[in-house]
Order: sequence, then structure tokens, then C-alpha cells
Amino acid sequence: MSTTRPDLLDPSTIAALGRIEIVARWIVDGFLTGLHRSPRKGFSVEFAEHRPYLPGDELRYVDWKIAARADKWVVKQYEEETNLRATIVLDVSRSMAWRGDESRLTKLAYAERLAAAIALLFLRQRDAVGLVRFDDMVRTSVPPRVRTGQWQRIVAALDDPGAGHASFAPAALEQAGRLILRRGMIVLISDLLMDQPDVISRVRALRHAGHHVAVLHVLDPSERDLPARGDALFFDPESEVEVPAVSADVRAAYRETVDRALGEWRDALAGVGAAYEVVTTDAPFGVPLRRAFAMRQRLP
Amino acid sequence: MIDFLSPLWLVAGAAAAVPLLLHLLRRRIGARVEFPAVRYLARAEREHSRKLRLRNLLLMLLRMAIVVLVAAAAARPVLRVSGAGHAPTALAVVLDNSLSTSVIVAGHPVLDDLRARAAQVVRGVSPDDRVWLITADGVVRGGSRAAILDDIARTEPLAGAGDVEDAAARASTLAASAALPEREVAVVTDGQAAAWPEPVSLGAVTVFAYRPRGDAPPNRAVVDARAQPVRWTPGGAIQARVMTPDSATYRITLEGRTLARGTVTRDEPVLVRAAPPERGWTTGSVELEPDELRGDDVRWFATWIGPAPAVRVAASAGPFAAGALDALVQGGRARAGGDITLASADEVTALPALLIAPADPVKLGAANRALERLGIPWRLGAARHGETSVRGAANAPVPLSDVTATLRYPLAPQPGTRPDTLATAAGEPWIVSGPGYVLIASPLSPDATTFPVRAAFVPWLGDVLSQRLSADAGLVTNATPGAFVARPAGADALELPDGDRTPLPDDSLAAPARPGAYFYLHGATRVGALVVNPEPFESDLHRLDDAALAARLRGRRVTTTDDGARFASAVFATAPRRPLVAPLLAAAVVALVAESAMVRGTRNAA
Repeated sequence: MSTTRPDLLDPSTIAALGRIEIVARWIVDGFLTGLHRSPRKGFSVEFAEHRPYLPGDELRYVDWKIAARADKWVVKQYEEETNLRATIVLDVSRSMAWRGDESRLTKLAYAERLAAAIALLFLRQRDAVGLVRFDDMVRTSVPPRVRTGQWQRIVAALDDPGAGHASFAPAALEQAGRLILRRGMIVLISDLLMDQPDVISRVRALRHAGHHVAVLHVLDPSERDLPARGDALFFDPESEVEVPAVSADVRAAYRETVDRALGEWRDALAGVGAAYEVVTTDAPFGVPLRRAFAMRQRLP
Repeated sequence: MIDFLSPLWLVAGAAAAVPLLLHLLRRRIGARVEFPAVRYLARAEREHSRKLRLRNLLLMLLRMAIVVLVAAAAARPVLRVSGAGHAPTALAVVLDNSLSTSVIVAGHPVLDDLRARAAQVVRGVSPDDRVWLITADGVVRGGSRAAILDDIARTEPLAGAGDVEDAAARASTLAASAALPEREVAVVTDGQAAAWPEPVSLGAVTVFAYRPRGDAPPNRAVVDARAQPVRWTPGGAIQARVMTPDSATYRITLEGRTLARGTVTRDEPVLVRAAPPERGWTTGSVELEPDELRGDDVRWFATWIGPAPAVRVAASAGPFAAGALDALVQGGRARAGGDITLASADEVTALPALLIAPADPVKLGAANRALERLGIPWRLGAARHGETSVRGAANAPVPLSDVTATLRYPLAPQPGTRPDTLATAAGEPWIVSGPGYVLIASPLSPDATTFPVRAAFVPWLGDVLSQRLSADAGLVTNATPGAFVARPAGADALELPDGDRTPLPDDSLAAPARPGAYFYLHGATRVGALVVNPEPFESDLHRLDDAALAARLRGRRVTTTDDGARFASAVFATAPRRPLVAPLLAAAVVALVAESAMVRGTRNAA
């Protein structure tokens, strides 16, 4: 029966069923159903507002007075119930708008749905979530909030223009750091087709500032295994760099190089205390979502 | 050293340039493909460039090697290497099956050994070879190894000598004509010296010759047998010559019955006179006791036996002619009658006749008119006086020694005459002969010539009467087995010893392979005889030694041996060039497998 869960469906299949917010909601609902318990943990003592009771909320936060007086179940929310301030840094450069096969989502489409789902999941557990979109510059910046409507703002921001020719993550990471005034979590979703030292340097700075950094490295399967195109002239849509190659000849070497490059990212990020996960666009959204959730759960 | 049997296929090796060109041009081929992770691709090529270049170079070399190997294989190369196998060879095997090879040695005919050696050689023939078998009679057989082996097994000895030298020459021509790298002639012979009288040139072929070890056994043979004269009227003689190292017992038969027996010693001629009762064409033989070579122990002859000629001698012939005829009549070699006229030329009115020049020069004109009337193409010239020596024809049965002529009428032939001169005087025809006539240019008197008073006159007259003036019964033709002879005029069939007849449609015929006496037929009448006997020299079994045999065979390289095993192995040992088609194809397959493995390995790794 697990195959009917939206978070475990084929990404392109479920993406075809509706808009981003609908799809992201299905994904998160399916994901939470699989957890068998509420993801929320900890509430602050400084009251902020009431909100309707939702299944999974701890009964101790139910405002019994209102329940007795108005026969209406609400829970008390406090300013400090938000455990974490998180910013999702989404790469929307030209290289992300690519797919190796028409049956798959582009890396950007996959990343946008994944970002929406993560934002919704984090918001569901009272984390403040913001969004930074970037290509060769910061295109969108949504400060992290936990209020109702934050997720709609994030989803709406995903439609902002972008897809410039280059990728420059350091500026976006710096912007994300600025958006989080105190220690928080920054989730970078990118194909990481950029210079590693610049990214690592910025991640190190974020880590020094006390932020937790998680990197979801989005890859199309065809980027792990060179597509069979015979003798071809391969060109980078961002830099227009051309490399002639015979795919059959260089496939083994290419795969070895990609594995080595991924290992280098993993080691470098681990070296500065950042989490790192490789996500391929043919994997169900539940997989990266679970990893992002696990990263979040490991935080205090 | 590598030779190519089909060198034109080497041109196909130029196709090896295709992988090279593809290798050089490959970076210019293909579509432009968007691929964001080009940095990884560039890095992969940068980091693995040496390995990739080496792999691509190896693939290119393998593909070029495949093309070159297949093209080279198609060109059918052969390589001179040691070990088994040999280059494609045109092999002509000369199997000497002449009569001498039927001699029994150690209980078996020599031909058995020769056949075994020839078969041993032919068994070494491979499908790439061409092989022929040539026997001593000149017959050529070609075909597969199995067919040639079958032909060898069925080869029987000839009844005559054949011509081994001609067979060897024919073999060299066959071998040389083949478009194969090796051309060889294998001669399997008994090494009989008489069969290899002169060196024979075999051109640019390699020659191997085998002859049996040891000397030939002693042989006794009848090397000559003939009736003398051919026409017996009715008496005659049988002349024979026997080749024997010591003495031999002979038997002479006529129509199957024994005519005489005797013993003859070495080099002693045999002469047996007889006046048998048989009439007409008759066959006979001279036989010896069987020895190791049976084929020459019997020799055949034929003779025509008829009654003594009936002769009428005229007074104008002179008293010496009349006296001589009396002597012949008393000896039974002639009889009185009117079949043949013996008279002065001017008195003869019909043929056959022995015409004598008139004693009186006045009758010269009448004599010439008589000659013209009788159709004799000779005319008597003006009388010449003076003593002149008479010389008989070289093949005259009776020699005319010490005969002179003091009066003679020079004989002048009419245009178109084919002279048959029996004797000359001063270099001019003195006695001439033709159909039904013999003409003497001097009167048979002592004042004109000494001929009638010489001892040779009577036998000469008897020979002329019986052989030239009697009815023409035909001639005897002597031939060797298989030899071509001209068909006598008027003969339309050949009567075989068993009575069957073979039509003779052509102007020539091949003498039967079996020795014996055969008769030409015109209708049902015998008009001559064909006597078939082996060549006398074939009975001389003396063998050449290796060096002498090698000297008879003139080829590019000549090897002679009496060692059968060495002979069989040597024939192809000088052509140890192995065909390279199979190894090249195998190498091409290996290269193909290696290329496929490299490509598949790359894909699997990918």
C-alpha cells in the first residue's frame, strides 16, 4: 500500500497532477502519514496566538478553557514555539533547467517541488522557513517566518523569474545567513555546477555563525551516467564550453570522475560540518524529504 | 619469404585506412548536445586522456589489423616455415608402367613397388594442390587425390616401352602451367637405361625421381623374329635373334603348331627354313621359356605363303635366263606356266613380266613402244658401251656383288615416275621395278653384263619372281604397341587374333596394345598384316644409378633416390611453405574478439 503514498510516487507522475502547492501538500501529507506521529516537538512559553487543533498536536497545549467555553478545540501558540529558522537556498540557474530524458522532471522542477515540500514540512512543525532563489545573482529573498501564509509566499516566490546563465551560490548563502538573525538552518538545493572553493568558503562562514547547513545535490540520472549520444559535441548551456567526446569511449572515465567529484563535495562539506545528500531527479520526493527531515531532527 | 596466390586482394588492405580516418576525424563527427555537466566531462577527458588515447589507439590498431588480416587472408599468402604442411603445389606424377616394370623381383612385379611409391606421394596432396598422373604411354589423368589414387591402383603395365621421357616432359609442362607457387614432377621409374637414353629438359620444375634399389634380374628375350622373305612361294625362312646371357631354348610356331625347336647361345642368330603347307597370310611366333619378364618371351611374325610362280621364258631372254629358271623350277621356287613372262622388252605383250633390254640395238624402238604400250614409265636410251660396275640397292635381299655392265641402255623415267631402282650402273638406274614389271637395262648375255654368270643371279631371279612379279598379296607392317601406323590402301578393317574385326575409318590407326599378328582386311580378304611386338630395347633391363638418372633429368632441382620413404617425404619437403589463410583468419577473429571485448568492457564499465 505504500506505493499509493504520494511521496513515494514517481516524481514526474505526481508533478503532472497539479500545481506546486498541491503537489507539495500531497507529498508532505503522505510523508507525515508514513511517520505515524506528529513531527512537532517543543513549544515555547511566550503565548502568541491560538490556532485550530490538528491531529497530532499534544493535548497539553490544548486551551481547555476555550474548549469548555466555546466547545472549540484550539491550541495555544507561543512566539518561541518555533524551534528553528530555516532558509531554503534554491539554485535556479540555466543548468538546473535541464533533463536528460523527456520522461523526467528538469532538475529545477524537481528542486522547486522539493523546496515547497520541505518548506511545508518545516512549517508544519513550527519552524520558520524562508527562501532564497539565485542564479548568477540573488533573484528572490523571502525571509523566514512561521506565520500562516508563509508557505503560500514561498510557493509564489518559486514562480519569480530566474534561470540566468551562471550559478553563484556564495552570494545567495550570504543572503540566507543575513535572513537568519540567530542560529538556524540553511538548506542549499543545487546541482553544484559551480566552483567548489567559493561555496565551501561561504558554508564555512555560515557554520562559524552557528548555522546548520544541509546541501541537497540535485542530479539528473544522465549526469551520473553520460547519455549515449555516440560521437557528439557536448556544450555547457551556462558557459557555452564545448567538449567533443564519444560517449561510449569516455563513459567509464566520466562516471569515475563524477563519483570522485561527488566524493569531493561530500568530504569538503563534511570538513566544514555541513550535511550533504545526493538527490537524483528520478527518486520519489519522499526520499530527499526524509533526508531533509532527518537533518532537521538531528538539530536541537 | 611470403608469396601471395591472389595478390590482387591485397588492394583491399587499403580499407585499413578507414578506421584510421575515422580515428582522425572522429572529433569532427556528431551532433551538438546540451549537457550541463560538461565540466565533469572535460575533467574526465583531462584526467583520463592518456588512458583514453591509448584505448582509442588500440581500438584503431585492432580495427586496422582486422581489415589488413582479412585482406591478407583473401590474398592467400603462403609462408616458408618449418614443420608440417606445404605450399600449394602443382604435382605431376610420372608413373613408369613400361613393359620392363612388369619384371618380377622378389615375387612381385616392380610396378607394384612403383605404384606404392606414387600412391604414397599422392597421399600427401592437400586440397590446395593440383595433381596429375602421367603414365609411360603418355596418358594424362587429372582430378582429386582420391581419383588419382584410384588411377594409380588401376595402372597396368604396358606391352611395350612407351615413352617415359616424353611423359616426363609432358608432366613438366603440366606442372609449369599451373598458377601455383610450387611446381614439381615426381618420376617413379624402374630406372631402365634404355628408357632414358638421353637427357630430357624439364624446365623450371623441381624434380624428384625414385628408382628401385638394386639391379634388375637377368632377362632372356626374343628381340627379333621375321619371315624371310615376307612372301613364301612356298618356302621361306624364319630369322630370329634372342637376347640371353648364356643359352636359351626356343620354339617356333606357325599357326599355333610347333615348327621348330632349338637352343641358341648368346649372340647366335636363329635361322629356320621351312616350306609349310599353309597358304595365304599366316602368323607365327618365336617363344622362349618364361622368365622374370614375360612380356618379351614371345615375338610374333607374319608371312604370306603361296605356290611357286608360273613363268614362261622366251628365247629372246637368252640362255642364261632360261637356265636360271630351270634351276628355280628344280628347286621348287618356280614352275613352268604363263603367269609371268621373261623376255626381251620388245617381245613382251602383257604383265607381269621381267623385261630385258634387247640384244640388238635395232630393236630399241620396238622395245620402247612395248614399254609405252604396257604402261611402264621408263624408256631405254641409246646404247652405251664401256664396262661399268653395278651396285645393288641397299635393301636388296640378294646382294649384287662383282657385277659389271659393258653394254647398257640408260633408263630414263617418264615425268611423274616414282623410281623403284633395284640396281644402278654408273649412278644411273640399271634395274627398275614397278607394278607387275622388272626392267633390266642390259641384255642378259656375258658380252653385255656379268650379271647372268654371277652366283647371285639365280636367287635374285627367284626373289624377283616371287616377291615382285607374283600376285600382290599385301605387305607386313611392324609396329610397337600403341604406335600409330598408316592404314594400307584398300584396307577397311583389322582382323583381331580372336577373329573379330575392327573397322578402320581413318587413314591411320593405333596399333593394338596387345602384341600379336593382326591382318588388314578388304572385305573378307586379307590384304596385309600388322605385327605388334615390344621394342627390342625394352628387354634390356639394365638400370641407371642415381647419378646417371639425375643426369637424364634436367630440372630446376633434381633429387633421385632409391629410398621409398625418403622419396615420399622429400616431394613436399622442399615446399614446406604453409598456407597462412587459416592463421590470418584466426588472428583476425582474435583481433575482432579483442576489439569487441574492449568495446563491451567499456560499455559494461559504463
